Amino acid sequence: MRAVGIVGVGHTKFGRFTGSFLDMAASAAKEALDDAGVRPVTGHGIDQVFLASMGAGQVNKISGAASALVDTLNLRPAMAETVENGPASGASAVKLGYMAIASGLCDTVLVVGAEQMRVISGWEATDFVATMSHPEAEYPYGLTLPAFAGMFTRLYMDKYGVTEKDLAIVGVKNHENAMHNPVAHIKLVPNLYAITEDEDANVINPYVAEPLRVYHTCPVSDGAAALVLTALDSGREFNHKPVRIAGVGQATDTHVVAERREPTELFAVKESARRAYEMAGIGPEDIDVAELHDAFQILEIAESEEVGFFPKGTGHLAAREGKTRVDGEKPINTSGGLKAKGHPVGATGVSQVVEIVRQLRGEAGGRQVKGAKTGLTVNFGGFGNNVVSIVLTTRERG
Amino acid sequence: MYAYKCDACGELHHPKHFVCRKCGGTDFTETPLEGEATVLTWTKVYNLPEGYMKPYLCFVIARFDNGLTVSGQINSEQPVTGQRVKAVVGVVKEGVGRDFYGFIFEPAQSVA
Amino acid sequence: MATIDKMEQQLRPAETAMAPYPAKYITLASGEKMVVKQVARENCGIVLETVKPLMTVERDFYDIVASRIYSEVLGHMRYRVKDEYVLLGTVDGEIAGVVNGRLVDDKVGMSYHTMTIKQGLRIGAQLFAAKMEYHFDILGQDEVWIVAESPNGFKRWMIEYELVSRPETWHELGGVPTYVLTRELWEKHKAGKCTGRRPVPEELLAKAENPRLPGKYAQIPGFTR
Repeated sequence: MRAVGIVGVGHTKFGRFTGSFLDMAASAAKEALDDAGVRPVTGHGIDQVFLASMGAGQVNKISGAASALVDTLNLRPAMAETVENGPASGASAVKLGYMAIASGLCDTVLVVGAEQMRVISGWEATDFVATMSHPEAEYPYGLTLPAFAGMFTRLYMDKYGVTEKDLAIVGVKNHENAMHNPVAHIKLVPNLYAITEDEDANVINPYVAEPLRVYHTCPVSDGAAALVLTALDSGREFNHKPVRIAGVGQATDTHVVAERREPTELFAVKESARRAYEMAGIGPEDIDVAELHDAFQILEIAESEEVGFFPKGTGHLAAREGKTRVDGEKPINTSGGLKAKGHPVGATGVSQVVEIVRQLRGEAGGRQVKGAKTGLTVNFGGFGNNVVSIVLTTRERG
Repeated sequence: MYAYKCDACGELHHPKHFVCRKCGGTDFTETPLEGEATVLTWTKVYNLPEGYMKPYLCFVIARFDNGLTVSGQINSEQPVTGQRVKAVVGVVKEGVGRDFYGFIFEPAQSVA
Repeated sequence: MATIDKMEQQLRPAETAMAPYPAKYITLASGEKMVVKQVARENCGIVLETVKPLMTVERDFYDIVASRIYSEVLGHMRYRVKDEYVLLGTVDGEIAGVVNGRLVDDKVGMSYHTMTIKQGLRIGAQLFAAKMEYHFDILGQDEVWIVAESPNGFKRWMIEYELVSRPETWHELGGVPTYVLTRELWEKHKAGKCTGRRPVPEELLAKAENPRLPGKYAQIPGFTR
């Protein structure tokens, strides 16, 4: 297979986007094309556009959105597809971009992830996201992603002694990181004491889905992120030295959460990371920085174990000890994560890759991990039923 | 509500699958899924999605005595892990022209 | 006080003596302390200035809410509303939110509006709870009539407090269907919704007594006064 690298990144400010869905997707795409040094219209050389979105059709009423985007950017006659794989749509689109180039079908591909969820109310957004659960055994019950996360958190607490404060520690760390990320949604650092131990804590930080509280869960955000992928042997010159996609792994698990044999395990996270490591020829010890899918803070803890950073049942202890901070031994979610950077679902997987590229290029400013050479992203779909992991590196091919 | 029993090996499934997870069999017989179960985990959800005009609702993942594990609502203000519950089938969501039925668990002692 | 002529006396409502709302403070998620304090009638000018910029913001019905608060508070200042009160939430002296309401009679209260200026810290929910605390726990009322003008309000008050629908009672705010918070529901939900401590330390209180206009509005990007 041909080696594939990333030569351009773009990212809108996450939060509320007041323009249209297409404006948002095109803004991120334009920034990535500019970053790479690709000029639209004449000789742009973009063979294919993948647009990841979970709700373009359902929420924004735009079907086949990639066709609209490719024309908005005047990248015709590039091939175009919209990619929908729940909240893992973003990383799925990166994977498809990788496959398109590695197979030899394309030389240069634009990958965009975009989601505009704040045009609907919070409870409509909750309902929209819940449509990825099982249509008979889960969704009609009113079960939502926070409900599954709450039940998962309780099992984790019972089995491993994770506390509400541990979840808050992870959240506060991510909020602190987001203060150094200009594109982050939330620019406010919660006070750990205020949200955990203060007399007012139960009311100002209420339960969303017991034992999960407001400050243990991510916000609803709009946003878009984009990447330019190219074949390393294409001979084309770009503005940036490529960051190589060294490994791509994906795995599925039971669609129905209750059917899992071991309810505290996230099999698809473990398996997708294993495949990505194997393809890259590395192990978890080689990862310098990681973006993990912390839609709920328990997921950052559990994923940090499943990808092999810490032994099972000790992720919360590592967080307590500061090991996952920017200056720790395994920095996680330097971007602010889904918790503070925001979680426009279909854009998240692309956004995670943008952050790792910035880290590996040394462009991460106040949140830069010194000397980072290899990074990992984990993009989590459903409640862990479809997970995509990607390894990125600036090291030479082994 | 039914469990789907593999005709070849007897493995129970819920919801319906087209291929048995254990033996690959493709023929199933519907068997009523009812009786007592044990709560494995639970949550009380306060931000319900569109369509639920309630401040909160409790959910459980519970294991039937036959080993099958399902999600459901529970009629209890404060479920407890390990609690014995009884499955009742009821309307879990009111739809326009079509209601959705599913498991609503009750604490076992209150269903004499 | 200026002398009031006979005509003006005819125009003013007869007012009921109301126990004042005792100031309290709440620790917000940011660690900042919000003081919730009643504003005296003569000091309500700053409330008008606070809501004024939002009177043209259409999104989430801010225009309706801001315009109505403006007229209610103006009416209060100029003696054209009976038994009204205004509570302000301030953080480090800066206005973070405002709520108001009035008495229908000694047993029934009427909630007017809740306006959050500083977003993302659940300030609106806290101020709404403080308003209900005033009606039930300070003034000893039996019920409060409430309406929602936005879907957010409906979710927050009608669903979260399980308010009782009483459509036969037309609320003063345009006659839309009334919902009622009864004492029983208040007692049920109070612990999870209402918090704060008294007395307010002197230093905090001093800042709250001289509130400042908000420097920015999340609803108006790039706002300058």
